[in-house]
Amino acid sequence: MTENRLVRGLRPWVFPALLIGAFEWYARRAAALGSDALAPPSAAARAFAGAALDGSLWQATGFTLGTAALGLLLGAVLGIALGLVLGLSRRAARLGSVTIEVLRPVPSVALIPLAMLGFGFGVRMELAIVAFATFWPLLVLVQAAVQQVEPRLLEVSRVLGLSARERAFKIVLPAIVPRLFVALRLGVAVALVVAVTVEIAANPNGMGYAMMIAQQSFDPALMLAWLGWIGVVGFAINAAMLGLQRGVSRRMGAAP
Amino acid sequence: MIAAHVPNLARSALPAGAALPGSGPARHAAPFLRFDGVTIRLGGREILSPTSFDVARGEFVCIVGPSGCGKTTLLRAASGLVTASAGEVRRNGVKMLEPSREVAFVFQDYGRALLPWRTVEGNVSLALEAGGVPAAERAPRIADVLAKVGLAKHAHKFPVQLSGGMQQRAQIARCLAQKPELMMMDEPFGALDALTRQSLQDELARLVREDGLTVLFVTHDLEEAIYLGDRVIALQANPGPGRPSLARMIDVKIPRPRDQLTTKEHPDYLRLRRELFAFIEHGHD
Amino acid sequence: MNGHAERRGLERLGALGVLLALVALWWVASNAGWVSRVFLPTPQATFASLLEGLNLSGEGGGELLAFTGATVGRMVQGWLLASLAGVLLGAAIGVSPVVRAWVQPTLEFVRPLPASALLPLAISIFGLNPGMVLFVVAFGAMWPVLLATVHGFAAVEPRLAEVARCLQMSRAAYVWKMGLPNAMPDILAGMRLALTIALIVAVVGEMIASQSGLGQAILLAARAFRASELFAGIVLLGLIGFASNALLALAERRLLRWQQP
Repeated sequence: MTENRLVRGLRPWVFPALLIGAFEWYARRAAALGSDALAPPSAAARAFAGAALDGSLWQATGFTLGTAALGLLLGAVLGIALGLVLGLSRRAARLGSVTIEVLRPVPSVALIPLAMLGFGFGVRMELAIVAFATFWPLLVLVQAAVQQVEPRLLEVSRVLGLSARERAFKIVLPAIVPRLFVALRLGVAVALVVAVTVEIAANPNGMGYAMMIAQQSFDPALMLAWLGWIGVVGFAINAAMLGLQRGVSRRMGAAP
Repeated sequence: MIAAHVPNLARSALPAGAALPGSGPARHAAPFLRFDGVTIRLGGREILSPTSFDVARGEFVCIVGPSGCGKTTLLRAASGLVTASAGEVRRNGVKMLEPSREVAFVFQDYGRALLPWRTVEGNVSLALEAGGVPAAERAPRIADVLAKVGLAKHAHKFPVQLSGGMQQRAQIARCLAQKPELMMMDEPFGALDALTRQSLQDELARLVREDGLTVLFVTHDLEEAIYLGDRVIALQANPGPGRPSLARMIDVKIPRPRDQLTTKEHPDYLRLRRELFAFIEHGHD
Repeated sequence: MNGHAERRGLERLGALGVLLALVALWWVASNAGWVSRVFLPTPQATFASLLEGLNLSGEGGGELLAFTGATVGRMVQGWLLASLAGVLLGAAIGVSPVVRAWVQPTLEFVRPLPASALLPLAISIFGLNPGMVLFVVAFGAMWPVLLATVHGFAAVEPRLAEVARCLQMSRAAYVWKMGLPNAMPDILAGMRLALTIALIVAVVGEMIASQSGLGQAILLAARAFRASELFAGIVLLGLIGFASNALLALAERRLLRWQQP
């Protein structure tokens, strides 16, 4: 029934619409009483349009996404490579275990001052931190994925007499592709969050910084616009990655 | 002897919708359990055509049939887990629309019906807690029922530490703790290996006899049905319009207590077995 | 088996050896000046800063100890508040399929939002003070717990739900005896994630709101080019992360021992 589908299509928007409506009413009252801490969503929408038109929106968004992508690239390449090695060689995994256990718990934000010291402000500093933050989940997940390759397949490779290289490329790599995409999806989420966090904490570039500047200039409308935009961008990219991951899983025959 | 309670029933195929009279000289009161034209439709399909029969108190009725004949659905309708699309089930004259503590249900997938985070003791206790039994009374009752099913030594284990047979016994223990009037069992031994199944069959027969329980037992195993039951009801799948799901009803007059070796060589057992197998093989009557 | 335990012990030693080799590499790189000591302090300087900062060298100092306490305090307080709120709200939402249907899409939207992104808004409302940081720590850390709790309640094994109906369990009994224990593995996993977020937001909050703590300490150390203090702070933050995670994992194992055959 089309009526049912319409209801179901609109339902996710009802609750947020109510919240935004309530917020609009509250913020207008607060502004009328002289508070400049909040702005109504309508003002935020106007500020958003302004930023979109004068290009600042796209520039900052481009910086954040671009830097996050570069950091993810670095972190993922290193993480996947080491994850493959540690997954294929049990001895290597055990030798590296203590080092990993010691280094992994360091929160990436703790390295912000160090990166500042080494790289100053800008792309490199943020990229380095994103790389560190995304390296670990990818390492751990790829290692686990390799270790959990169906043992039957490995027995088949032994029976067929495949070399170690052939085994890695013809059996192991294709087998881990679905879980690799799960790890990449997680990596993308982490990269975005860390990039924005670095910009909020220190880096004078990107979406996080734009939001901080708006707050410091007592422009709550613009600040809320940035907060909303960061949420939308994060949601959209995560949703896209989820779709990609599911599509890959379906094609590779694994459970999504 | 349980056989004395078995009503005098016709054995041939029944026309659709015909109710079986709870006949017999002493039976003027309403039967313990009455299925009256129970029909179940799901997703546009009629899973169960109008089915009617009676069950007397203390009877052990086995329901058999091929997959898709609606035997599990019939059981779930009888326990109130599913509402019949037409017709009704009455227990002691009262319509059964919702589950009741007096009707225990033993599920086939015992692993999923036990609370994994509670010990065997805790799982049995759940039935008593739900029944409002005060805390002080619970421990002796739990110990009692665990001893009955032979799990006294495993009371403190978690389900994940138990074998399949033990898990099923734990579920049965929980059901017994409800002190039910009626016990529904949905292929309870289907997921177990043959040896475990046999020992559990005998244990069940003993428990039922001791407590005088009325049991509705669904199984795909014809031999099990004859071995355990006082009566075997055979359902057929997709009977066609106007024809009943309930195709055959057979009394099992083999004396109790029954035994895996001697009963299975009893001439009545062999005869019923041949009859039932032939019937199932040739589909409808 | 003795041989087995022996081999495991040797492997552990080998792994430790790898770590020590890396430390040795660090020692050489910094002492020989391969990397400038402005960015890479020597291990001995880092160690000395640690001792002094923790008031273990008997020469006074000890600020690092206070800073560590402040950061850990913020992290734990915020995390506890977040866990409580997350479980309560999550249970309320998760237990009713109707509420879930209306509210879940909004929750999914909030999920990818960085917790630190709420700091400017909180500063706007509350100003620069410790309460503001605690609020954002708690609010940010609440979401993984809330989402995990909703999921845990929503995913009760249908067979168990039928058992509850057969036993005529009351709604309250169902939530307390089935919903909550069933959700426990999810909740604990959410709480573990919440702890990580709590630490991160505490550190970032200290950095931008100039609140006393390890976050501010390492930022100031970097600005003053005091690399050994910076590294000491990083080591401490790593230790906090390690210890909190290990403790929680231990608690998880105890609480979930019914999962292990």
